[in-house]
Amino acid sequence: MPTARPLPVDDAGRPLFELPDELAIDTDVARRVIAGFIQEQLRQAGFERCVLALSGGIDSGLVAYLVAESIGPERLLCVMLPYRTSSPASQADAEAIVADLGCASELVEITAMVDGYFGRDEVAGAGGSEALDASPVRRGNFMARARMSVIYDRSVTFGGLVVGTGNKTESLIGYTTMYGDNACAFNPIGDLYKSQVRQLAAAMGVPRQVIAKAPSADLWPDQTDEGEGAFSYPLLDRLLYWRIDRRRSTDELVEMGFERTLVERVERLVATSEFKRQVPPVAKLGPRTAGVDYLYPRRRPGSART
Amino acid sequence: MRNPGPSRPPGEGRILVSTMLRIALAQTAPRLGALDENLARHHELLEEARAGGAGLVVFPELGLTGYQLQDLAAEVAMRLDDPRLASLVTATRGVSATFSFVEESGDHRLFIAAALAEDGEIRHVHRKVFLPTYGLFDERRFFAPGDVLRAAPSRLGVGVGIAICEDFWHLQTAQLLALDGAQVLLNVSSSPGRDLAARNEVGLGTATSWRTLMRTYAQLTTSFVVFVNRVGVDESVTFWGGSEVIGPSGEPVFSAPFFDEGLFFVDVNLEDVRRERIALPLLRDERLELQARELTRIISERAGLATDTTADPGAEPGLDVAALAPVPADEPIRLRSRRR
Repeated sequence: MPTARPLPVDDAGRPLFELPDELAIDTDVARRVIAGFIQEQLRQAGFERCVLALSGGIDSGLVAYLVAESIGPERLLCVMLPYRTSSPASQADAEAIVADLGCASELVEITAMVDGYFGRDEVAGAGGSEALDASPVRRGNFMARARMSVIYDRSVTFGGLVVGTGNKTESLIGYTTMYGDNACAFNPIGDLYKSQVRQLAAAMGVPRQVIAKAPSADLWPDQTDEGEGAFSYPLLDRLLYWRIDRRRSTDELVEMGFERTLVERVERLVATSEFKRQVPPVAKLGPRTAGVDYLYPRRRPGSART
Repeated sequence: MRNPGPSRPPGEGRILVSTMLRIALAQTAPRLGALDENLARHHELLEEARAGGAGLVVFPELGLTGYQLQDLAAEVAMRLDDPRLASLVTATRGVSATFSFVEESGDHRLFIAAALAEDGEIRHVHRKVFLPTYGLFDERRFFAPGDVLRAAPSRLGVGVGIAICEDFWHLQTAQLLALDGAQVLLNVSSSPGRDLAARNEVGLGTATSWRTLMRTYAQLTTSFVVFVNRVGVDESVTFWGGSEVIGPSGEPVFSAPFFDEGLFFVDVNLEDVRRERIALPLLRDERLELQARELTRIISERAGLATDTTADPGAEPGLDVAALAPVPADEPIRLRSRRR
C-alpha cells in the first residue's frame, strides 16, 4: 500500500478539506498520467502551448500547475477575466498562482463586454432595455461565454490550445455553462471529483488559501457552490462515486446512509444535464454521419496543425 | 533502464542450444494510424534487441497501428503478404519476434493479429479470440474474432503460446496454450490504465488485476508468462506499460516501469520450466477428457438439446437459473423476481 500522505492543515491544525477514503487517489500516478495526456494532446494537435482562464479558484489553479509541470510554465498563458463584481480576493489568488509558477499572464476585464449587452445604470445595452433586469443566471451564463470568447481569441494570439478546467462533480450535476466554462480543446481534470481535485492540488503545492476557500463560480458577490446547491462537496462526491462509478441503485445508496431526498435530487440533476456532456445530435440523413457511423479518432496522421 | 545480464553473442543464424534466453520487451508508444512510422520504429528496436543479444523480441498489441483505430482499422489493415509486414519478417533472421497489426483476411475480415516470426519466416499468426466490447472497449464493432487458439513450435526449443490482451481474461486461454505445448506464454497488450484509487497496491487498479492474473497463470500452467503492454496516449486513454516476465513458479522475474517507453532486456533460464513441472506436475495431472466431457454436456444443455441436471427447477432450456423463484404450494401466488 502507498503510504498515506497527511492532508494539509490550517494554522489551528485542522485539515484544510475532507477527503472521503473511497475517493483518495494515488496522486503520483495521477500526475504522471495527466502530464503525459497533456503532452500528447498538444503533440497530436500540432501545438506547443496552452492557454487557460485562471479564476483564482482551485480547479483552474490546479490545471495551471498540471500544465506547467507537464510542458513548462514558459509555454502556458493564464488569462484572468474578472467582471466588475468579481471578488478581489480571487484576483489576488490568481496572481499568486501566476507568480508562483512564473508563467505568462494577461488581465482582460469582461465588464465592458457584459455591460455592453445587459446595459448599466439604467442605460440599455445591445440586449435592449429588457436586459437591464436580466436574472443572475442569464448574467452568469453570459459572463462564462464572454470569458470563453476571450480565451479562444487568446488561443490564437498566443498559439496555444485551450485547456478545460471543469471537474467531474460539476460536470455530472450540470453545474456548468454550455459553451462557456465547459468549452475547451481537452480537459485534464474532468474525471476527478472535487475532493480529488483538492487532494491533487495539495500534493502539487497549490497555495493553501486557494485550497481552503469555499468553491464559488463567483458570478455574483458572496456566491458559493455549496450555498447555492445546499450540499457539501465530500458528501456529493461520495454519492456520485457510488452511484456512477460503482453502479449502486437508489435503494442501495439509501441503505448505505444517504438521504433519499438528496439521492433523488442528485439523480435528477445528473439526468437533466446529460445533454451538457454530449455532442449535440445531428439528424441522420446520409449514408455516413459524424458521431453515428462515421467514427474516426480525433487525432490521426494528417490531423495536426502544420 | 536496462539489465544487460550475462553477455552472450547475438544468436545470428544458429540454433539455440543453451536454455538461457534473453527476452527483449519493446514497451513502445505507437502513433495512432501511423503505420509507416510505427514500422520504422519496430525495425529500429528489433535491431537494437538483436544487438543486445536478445533471442526473443516482443512488441505490444497493435504496435504497428495504435489501438483506438475505429474506422481507421480498415485503412491500416494488411494482408499477410503485405510488403511492409514482409520487411519486418525478413528482419528476423537469427531471432524470434512477435509483433501485432490489423490483419485483413482473404474474405476481408479484419482481425487484431500477432505474428511470431523467426529466421525470416512467419511461424504462427494468432488472431485475438476475445474482443472486449463493454465499458471503454468497442472492439467487436470493428473486428472479427479469431477462432483458433494454438501453441506454436519455435526455434527457441520450446512451444510458444500467443495471446492478445483480453484473451488472458478468459481462463481457458492460458490453459489451452499450455496443454498444447507452450512453455512460454506471450501476452501482448494495449491495456488502458484506470482506477487510480490510493488503496490499490500500485496506484492503478488495472495493473493490480493484471498482475494477479499473470502470476496465477504462470503458476497454474507452470510456464513463463511474458507480458508486453504499450505506453502512450490514444485519445482519452493512457496505456500503462508495466511489462513483465513471470517465472513458471509465479514469481516475477522482471517488471518494467509504468508509462515509460523502453526496450527492456530480461534473461531467463528455460530450464526453470522443467524444474517447476517436475516439482509441481499440475499440467501432468490435468484431466482433459473430463473437461471435454463436461464441456460437451454443458454445450448440449445450453443449446437446449439435453436436460440440464444442474439447473434450478423451472429453468428454461439452456438457462441454468430460473427466471422466477419457485412458489411454495401454501404461499399465495405472486410474481417475485429472483435475487440475481
